[in-house]
Amino acid sequence: MAILKTTDLSKVYNPDTVPVHALRDVSVSIEKGEFTSVVGPSGSGKTTLLNLVGGLDKPTSGEVEVEGIRIAGMKDRELTNFRLHNIGFVFQHYNLIPVFSARENVSFIMLLQNQDKEKMQERADELLRAVGLGNRKDARPPQMSGGEQQRVAVARALASKPKFILADEPTASLDTEAAMNLLDIMQRMNQEQNVTFVFSTHDQRVIDRARRVITLVDGAVDSDEHRDPDEGATA
Amino acid sequence: MNTLLSLSWRNIWRHPARSGVLLAAIMVGLCAGVVTVGTMNGLMRQRVDYLIESELTHAQIHHPEFLAEGHSWHSIPEHDRIISWLDGDPRVESHTSRTLSDGVLQSPVRASGVRIRGIDVESEVRTTTFHENLVEGEYLDTDVRNAVLMGTRLAEEHNLDLGNRIVLTFEDTDGRLASASFNIAGLFKSASADYDELNVLVRSDDFIRLLADRPVYHEIGVMLESEEVAESFVADFNSEFTGAEAQTWRELSPELSMLVELGGVMVFLITMIIMAALAFGILNTMLMALFERMREIGMLLSVGMSRPRVFSMIMLESVILTFTGAAVGIGLAWMSMTYLSRAGVNLEMFAEGMAEIGWDYMVYPLMSAREYVAVVTVVIVITLLASVYPALKAIRINPLEAARDH
Repeated sequence: MAILKTTDLSKVYNPDTVPVHALRDVSVSIEKGEFTSVVGPSGSGKTTLLNLVGGLDKPTSGEVEVEGIRIAGMKDRELTNFRLHNIGFVFQHYNLIPVFSARENVSFIMLLQNQDKEKMQERADELLRAVGLGNRKDARPPQMSGGEQQRVAVARALASKPKFILADEPTASLDTEAAMNLLDIMQRMNQEQNVTFVFSTHDQRVIDRARRVITLVDGAVDSDEHRDPDEGATA
Repeated sequence: MNTLLSLSWRNIWRHPARSGVLLAAIMVGLCAGVVTVGTMNGLMRQRVDYLIESELTHAQIHHPEFLAEGHSWHSIPEHDRIISWLDGDPRVESHTSRTLSDGVLQSPVRASGVRIRGIDVESEVRTTTFHENLVEGEYLDTDVRNAVLMGTRLAEEHNLDLGNRIVLTFEDTDGRLASASFNIAGLFKSASADYDELNVLVRSDDFIRLLADRPVYHEIGVMLESEEVAESFVADFNSEFTGAEAQTWRELSPELSMLVELGGVMVFLITMIIMAALAFGILNTMLMALFERMREIGMLLSVGMSRPRVFSMIMLESVILTFTGAAVGIGLAWMSMTYLSRAGVNLEMFAEGMAEIGWDYMVYPLMSAREYVAVVTVVIVITLLASVYPALKAIRINPLEAARDH
């Protein structure tokens, strides 16, 4: 069963005034362990698609299923709880809590899930080590570089043990070295721990690493390539 | 909850200067407010206490028609039975009987209308503090025959001094005019210029001799164990006696009672002004904090923090901020009040004007525990109300804000 599936997913902004068709009948299916990039020019609907599959926005029509559970009709409270337990988010601007240390930022999600405090600390430390920030766990975001902050954001996204991670332009604010470093980490998580990643990106460095590239044009799927990142496109 | 508390506390200190200024405003505002309210209370209380203790007393007994008509033949019937009844009432601390009549004071210079107050020196001293107003000469416990005390202001108007003679003319109990000369034994200056101009004091023995062929009393001033028992005392007295009527100081001096009410209104207004400033301070600070953190709050909502939790977080920030300021502010206020209630607030620069309207320039602020509780309660309510709007605004943030660039 697909971990994430959309069926005829559409989103129209301002339907009563000047309708803008951000997404048109998008049907995609993502399996567990995929490392997928959603690409396309500005305004092609990448972010809208991520917002819809992340339960942050509601579709005009169509359906989103996460492991067979339909989320489009969920009420706000259910959806919030669903996101907390099933979806990890990595934002372009990191969006860490600046008054919390790296460790507290990672623990925070587990705290919202009411996890055991001791286990929570252990897991936060483990995740920070995994993203190469074992020695920076007490640093606060303003004391960290952009790359470090984004790595904390990845650790935070992983903390809730989500079914998949949605990353909207994760490397857009990073320099090349930090971007490559981040991609290495995410790729390692994907390969070693079978974590599913879905990115929206313009960044060729990210696209080059992806094993599947979904291209959107004017809100519709233009192509869907499965490929070996080392050998180029396969389908 | 601990994490929410910790997060809220740290959020407050993201901008130490901004939060510090608000905290200082809460502390100083609350402290100044309490001291101002306390000073107003003290001023009112002193005025009321002074008038009660110096002359008015907690309750007075008259012939039912005396206060309206003022005729000397409207004396208190059954005076001796009333005195026995008062002596047997444990609520009564002391009492004094007075013989009163309106009359005319004549000096070589001019004539003035006055109220002649015949007092029993011993019981008057036991009951009131009016004798403390004597500024020159002797009180009425003097060997001088037909001694009279008058206000310094009245004496100045008549160009009179100690030892001078005046003539008092009044209506006796049979309705005939009577007059006699009196010697000025002393001059007083009370806190009320009006009182000093309109009253002269003589010994009741001297006055009764001229007024009637038997002892007559028009007023009995009663000091009770406390002001609170005045109502019940008056009710009991009036059910016991039909020929005489007791009234509380509030009934006798409605203007004084109104002044107390007015003081309450002023205190309320001052409190409301301070609280309004506090509310706007909180609202402004929290809204600024909120606008700066739209993306962050959007992120919290995106990753699964429920809206009630976000609401609580914003409310907690306001509550912590205000309660910290209010706790320190109330502490400062309490210390200031403790000091000022002993040392007093010196308003000497307004002494002359205050004396004109019968106020003392040394004010001892006063604040009851109930009023402290009321202030704290109002602070809590105002804080919660002022916090609701930013908190509601926070939970209306669209989680998509997290993904957008600002």
